[in-house]
Amino acid sequence: MLRKLLKHEFRATGRIMLPMYLVLLATAVGSNLSGRWMIGSRFSAVSILGVLIVTAFGFAIFGVLLMSFVLMIQRFYKNLLQDEGYLMFTLPVSVHQHIWSKLIVSAVWFITTVLAVIGASLIVAYQGGFLREMLDFLRYFFQGLQKLKITEALNGTVYLVELFILVFLAMAAFSLQFYAALAAGHSQPNHKMLWSVGCFFGFQAVLQFSGTMLLIGLTRLDLFRYLKFDWDPTPAVAIHVGLLMSIGCVVIYGAIFYAVTTFFLKRHLNLE
Amino acid sequence: MSVLECKELCKRYGRTAALEGLSFTVEPGRIVGLLGPNGSGKTTLIKLANGLLTPDAGYISVCDMAPGRESRSLVSYLPERTAIPLWMSAAQLLDFYGDFYADFRRDAAEEMLGHLNIHPRQVIKQMSKGTREKVQLIMVMSRAAKLYLLDEPIGGVDPATRDYILSTIIGNYNPEAAVVISTHLIADVEKVLDEVIFINQGQVMLQSSVDQIREEKGMSVDALFREVFKC
Amino acid sequence: MRWEFSNDAPIYTQLIQQVKVGIVAGIFPPGERLPSVRELATEAGVNPNTMQRALAELERDGLVYSQRTAGRFVTEDEIMIQAAKRGLAQRHVKSFIEAMLRLGFRQEEIVALLKQEIEEGTRDVSTGM
Repeated sequence: MLRKLLKHEFRATGRIMLPMYLVLLATAVGSNLSGRWMIGSRFSAVSILGVLIVTAFGFAIFGVLLMSFVLMIQRFYKNLLQDEGYLMFTLPVSVHQHIWSKLIVSAVWFITTVLAVIGASLIVAYQGGFLREMLDFLRYFFQGLQKLKITEALNGTVYLVELFILVFLAMAAFSLQFYAALAAGHSQPNHKMLWSVGCFFGFQAVLQFSGTMLLIGLTRLDLFRYLKFDWDPTPAVAIHVGLLMSIGCVVIYGAIFYAVTTFFLKRHLNLE
Repeated sequence: MSVLECKELCKRYGRTAALEGLSFTVEPGRIVGLLGPNGSGKTTLIKLANGLLTPDAGYISVCDMAPGRESRSLVSYLPERTAIPLWMSAAQLLDFYGDFYADFRRDAAEEMLGHLNIHPRQVIKQMSKGTREKVQLIMVMSRAAKLYLLDEPIGGVDPATRDYILSTIIGNYNPEAAVVISTHLIADVEKVLDEVIFINQGQVMLQSSVDQIREEKGMSVDALFREVFKC
Repeated sequence: MRWEFSNDAPIYTQLIQQVKVGIVAGIFPPGERLPSVRELATEAGVNPNTMQRALAELERDGLVYSQRTAGRFVTEDEIMIQAAKRGLAQRHVKSFIEAMLRLGFRQEEIVALLKQEIEEGTRDVSTGM
């Protein structure tokens, strides 16, 4: 059933995101052309048009970034907590599947959007010989890689993977904080949206407070000395440990909000 | 086996009680009217049967299961509001129901949409409010469910639409299933009901067959309702 | 066919009467198959169980008979249909006479009035009024 939920979730969001990517692509190509031929033209009208196209490209980037964020909130709110909730919550589907479908789809759009913006920027920068320069760069890059020791290469790859996982999980956990606030706020009989906003900032405050306490606690305790654990890692290992600990923290942060969201959707659903 | 059963069911919202010890059973093959004035607890009861709310005390079961994921595949629910996503086209809505409900009869739904001259590519947002409600009813009645829960299906519609809705219900429900219709417009639904349950202030006041009421009291259910709930 | 219901009698007894009228008036001709229970119920806007009960009653009376697979048929027995027609007519006449008596007419007056009304009716029809 999760697969079917995902299918319809992509249908609902794709009809908005795909045209946005098309606009991004069109303005990127336009910006490239106007950079070459239009801006600085002898005809001021053509020059102005060129500037306008480049401005439109800027707005398109802003638009896709904003839209992938707005959709994350709006799909959860409108599809589950408004009138459509009567349809969704009476499907033979569990609350967990609902949350995962929303989470996965919005994470996919976040990543696609980042990739699309990078791709569009490359299109704008493209000019004659650009491709050759890119290839040259890649060649130097790989030549450099060949000079690396095997451990260095391995470490580098793992850093990248860890960083990618961290960013992905952070986005999911961030989304879950919104979901939890919306689910908690909408369990109230009145002023549901106001409660949701309040819950969001409430969660934020609790999070920051406990984070700060944890840091202070850790430094005060000086855990390593207390445990008589003589640990003097190499910088490479220290970065791994740091990244993995961050991943751990983000997972805990996400898990807490996942639990809050399911609790309210299962026990205290209160559709209008 | 009863299709819907409530025992001493209680639900409160804050301090106000919506249901106070409600008990009744609905057997398969019957069309039952859940009748009561506004605010008597009809919608709360239907939401509980769908698992959209959780009871505070007592219990409710659908086909001998607590309302949940499994029971929902046996229940076809028409909410009071238009819940179908407005951005979908008729064809996408058919896909949606077909994907989630194994008992969805797509050909029956397509035929009924055809009678209303609705093109598969027509988007629900572009339809009138009345047409949206009809489309939603068609989806609900195109399932071969074990229990149909219809919350105010004829509230606020014109007489022609009302006849359309009632004949769609009679013409399509699974004869081994039970149909529960909640409404306060009794005169309009009386003829299609086997049985009625009067509820008021969260309690069952009467459960009886329609013809029994007419035979014993010599009056219509509508007239009896007016007498029982006289202000 | 037009289906109408009053509020004071059970719906299934009213259905029995109306299907009888349909048979007598030839809307459901002798020996022909009746529409299915669900079709009839949808047409009349009533509960299919109630329609089923009414048809079962008619079957007991012999006005319709069922063949296991093919459905329900109207009887071919003209005498039985005529008897049903007479029965329905008698009910109408009886209630008419009761109403007239309540208005204070005597029996001869009722007959005279009826005769006069019928003659005027046929004259209206023949003169095209």
